[in-house]
Amino acid sequence: MTATKTDVSTMPTTNRPMNAGQSVADDASRLDGIAKVTGAAKYGRDKYPAGCLFAAFIRCPWGKAELVSHSADEVQKLPGVVEVNVSRKEGLYHGRDMGYICADSPLALKRAMEALRPVWKRGEVKTLIEDDIDKEPEPDVDTGKLLDAAPLKLEAIYSTACQTHSSLETHGCVVDHQGDSATVWASTQGTFSFRDGLGEALKLDAGQFEVKCEYIGGGFGSKLGGPGKEGLLAARLSQKLRKPVYVFCDRREEHLDTGNRPSSRTLVRLGVQRDGTIVGGQIQTWGGVGVARGGGGCTVPSNRYKLGQISKDHKDIAFNAGGPRAMRAPGHPQGSFAEELMLDEVATLAKIDPLDLRMRLASSVLQEQMRLGAKLIGWEDRKLTGSQTGVIRTGYGLGTASWGSAGSLAEAEVIIHRDGSVEARTGAQDIGTGYRTIMAIVAAEAIGVPVGIVRCSVGSSRLPSGPGSGGSITSPIMAPTMRMAAEDAREKLLAVVATAKKVELAALRIDAGEILLDAKAIMSFKDACGLLPSDAITGRNAGRKRAEERGHSNGVQFVKATVDTETGVIRVQRVIAIQSCGKVLCRKTAESQIIGGVIQGLSYAMFENRLLDRVTGAMVNPNFEWYRILGPNDMPHIEPVLWSKGQTKVCALGEPPVIPTAGALAAAVFNAIGAPVRSTPMSPDKVLAAVASGAKNERGAPAVNPPPNGKPENKKPGGGA
Amino acid sequence: MSDGVSRRSFLKTAGASAAAASLAQVAQAAIAPPEAGVPATPTLGPDATDVTLSVNGKPMKLRVDPATTLLSALRMECDLTGAKEVCDRASCGACSVIIDGRLVASCMMLALDAEGTKITTVEGLAKGDELDPLQLAFVKHDALQCGYCTPGLVVACRALLDKNPKPSLSQIKSGLSGNICRCGTYTNIFNAVLEASGQKPIADSAPV
Repeated sequence: MTATKTDVSTMPTTNRPMNAGQSVADDASRLDGIAKVTGAAKYGRDKYPAGCLFAAFIRCPWGKAELVSHSADEVQKLPGVVEVNVSRKEGLYHGRDMGYICADSPLALKRAMEALRPVWKRGEVKTLIEDDIDKEPEPDVDTGKLLDAAPLKLEAIYSTACQTHSSLETHGCVVDHQGDSATVWASTQGTFSFRDGLGEALKLDAGQFEVKCEYIGGGFGSKLGGPGKEGLLAARLSQKLRKPVYVFCDRREEHLDTGNRPSSRTLVRLGVQRDGTIVGGQIQTWGGVGVARGGGGCTVPSNRYKLGQISKDHKDIAFNAGGPRAMRAPGHPQGSFAEELMLDEVATLAKIDPLDLRMRLASSVLQEQMRLGAKLIGWEDRKLTGSQTGVIRTGYGLGTASWGSAGSLAEAEVIIHRDGSVEARTGAQDIGTGYRTIMAIVAAEAIGVPVGIVRCSVGSSRLPSGPGSGGSITSPIMAPTMRMAAEDAREKLLAVVATAKKVELAALRIDAGEILLDAKAIMSFKDACGLLPSDAITGRNAGRKRAEERGHSNGVQFVKATVDTETGVIRVQRVIAIQSCGKVLCRKTAESQIIGGVIQGLSYAMFENRLLDRVTGAMVNPNFEWYRILGPNDMPHIEPVLWSKGQTKVCALGEPPVIPTAGALAAAVFNAIGAPVRSTPMSPDKVLAAVASGAKNERGAPAVNPPPNGKPENKKPGGGA
Repeated sequence: MSDGVSRRSFLKTAGASAAAASLAQVAQAAIAPPEAGVPATPTLGPDATDVTLSVNGKPMKLRVDPATTLLSALRMECDLTGAKEVCDRASCGACSVIIDGRLVASCMMLALDAEGTKITTVEGLAKGDELDPLQLAFVKHDALQCGYCTPGLVVACRALLDKNPKPSLSQIKSGLSGNICRCGTYTNIFNAVLEASGQKPIADSAPV
């Protein structure tokens, strides 16, 4: 097989059955797959225009520090240094930009940074949510009465650590300003918001410059919302110096100052009947938002379970750290971790099966998905929580997810060329979801031609405007939009055929690359294109949207894991991830989205933790050695199950699969060792502490709350169940 | 050169390359003692230095700052941007290349130290239009999402298969343990490696 002959749109695989649905394109692989496996795909960070300058921010090295002195004047004289600018005196978090240096090569820039020799005066810092909590909030009067009246009570504190997005391609862009035009190669999830944010810095109108992002090395929410400080720095410098300017964060900066999933803390006081019915209670959540003003929401209760009368309050806590940005289902994995483990603790209190409990509390779709998942994971092999005594204990857990839909008006174009080729055009970006491929599949299906003849252009502000890739809205908005454009192009082509052949337009159809007249093939699609009076015809959605084609997503995940009670190490064995996402447009990329969500969820649950030094406020692990993410050796077997039963709408898929995983794993660990680990990352030390506390308690009795972020536990609520 | 001396006095990176050069001198001295009065190797830097690299079977004549890593030289001087800089300290595998048959993190090697070796990058795996079967298997099993870690993983898988043409699943996991992927494509990568080595991909449960 050769690269030129390989039709990636027909590469069937056989290892994964479709369990609960069907897709538009079963055998299509990514249209950009070959570019990505050969290294031909050029990301923003791969662009080095001739004569390019390199700039980077000077960063505050402590949680709070004043810049006392520096050697900027001497640095300015170093070979290769173009500009040194120190603009800020005080930094309130590690990684705060204090100024920048621009030089003619990465090495000159690095040497200049080292030669700057800043002297800092450190200040006192706060680094934890707990730094702001003197005493646990009491429930209101009604909730207090409800709790007092309940025969069983659960009182617990759950916490999740701060997770950085850890996009492998860091934030940044290359700007080449040429006077009355400019080209910007960006790493962004929003081609158009990036463009809209740059005009002022470039001193150009929107039509005078192009933002290109054909390939993006991950974003997960952190690359939404415009050009950011990196983009603005590159734009201003390039505008001023009239040279291309390259600004990309290094790994350390990426951890420090490009957003995160904020830490969370959840206090739960629930009243429970003896039969397991949850009558209600108090849920207080906190979000650790660093220097940001908000964004720490923690989605518990999720409203997927009937929890009775819940009184919920939330508070964001500021401290000396970089602020959050939207991260793949913002607020949801935090909330789900607390909610799913809480439900398992309730089930254990009431001595009922946690799956049965959820069946009573959840919607009918979730119930149906739970039944399938239980069969696939082998739920009948699950042992009672706390009943195992061996060294290696096995646990089963589950969690659920849901996601709604939202959308705006977008544009798309489909061009049918006289040579018989088809081009789908959309300026929105493919951040790895498979967007480029999905759009080609949609256009091909709507026209009635094989996917292989459709090319798809994405990621340019010169192409039709589309949404940013956030909120899992791109496909739900763009699939109907692209379909309308393709239908428009098809109708225009058929009108040409009808005129040429002197037949009724209504009698013509296109199927599998053939023009059909009353269901009989009369000519090939290619020959029909040859009839075009001009070079090409362009189909457009013409300012229409089809909101009715968007719908809601639901999902259930089951986790089987073993826990080594001597080392505290959790090994995940299997994950069943059932996800409804409406009509499946491209099976392989859809399954990949689900698998990826599960992997990020497991990584979040077991490893990820932005560790801030309690004294200096500095992040002690801004790298990939000590900020661990899940690697090949940690991998369980993951089975994605696409649930498309009877669904015709296009629904969210990017975000929901990351929601239930951490909570499902926490439930599995609780089931295995009989004591809950109520804090992420569920590291060996916390697992061992839970094992030790569980051994002291009666079977299944809730353990003490493990200390969040390593802080000694001195503020736990009194009492307990 | 006074300029060079003053630069070296505060340039840590130049110091590191000087140290690397002197280590290389020591190593060479151990193999072949220098003739009297003739230095074993010329002192390199601090100014730009000529180097010839053999990349994907082609000689590349470059002039680089001695502190330039092999990764930077490949990306910025050779226009081979398949290898990515992700962590810049050999903890992610995104910059993987094969040097004389060994898998190497190109961010941890100076370009000057790669002289005289045979370097294969991801761009050198396909023979003209003919893809490495491993690359095809990656595409078929959708073993990539954003694709940023993919070149490093493809190279790591190729190095693994060169050493072990039929690896077991656990050997695949160990063989790739120097690489990370943030989108979460590992299971599909395992399937791609299994397929490229003539083995069956891991089957999911049968429909119920």
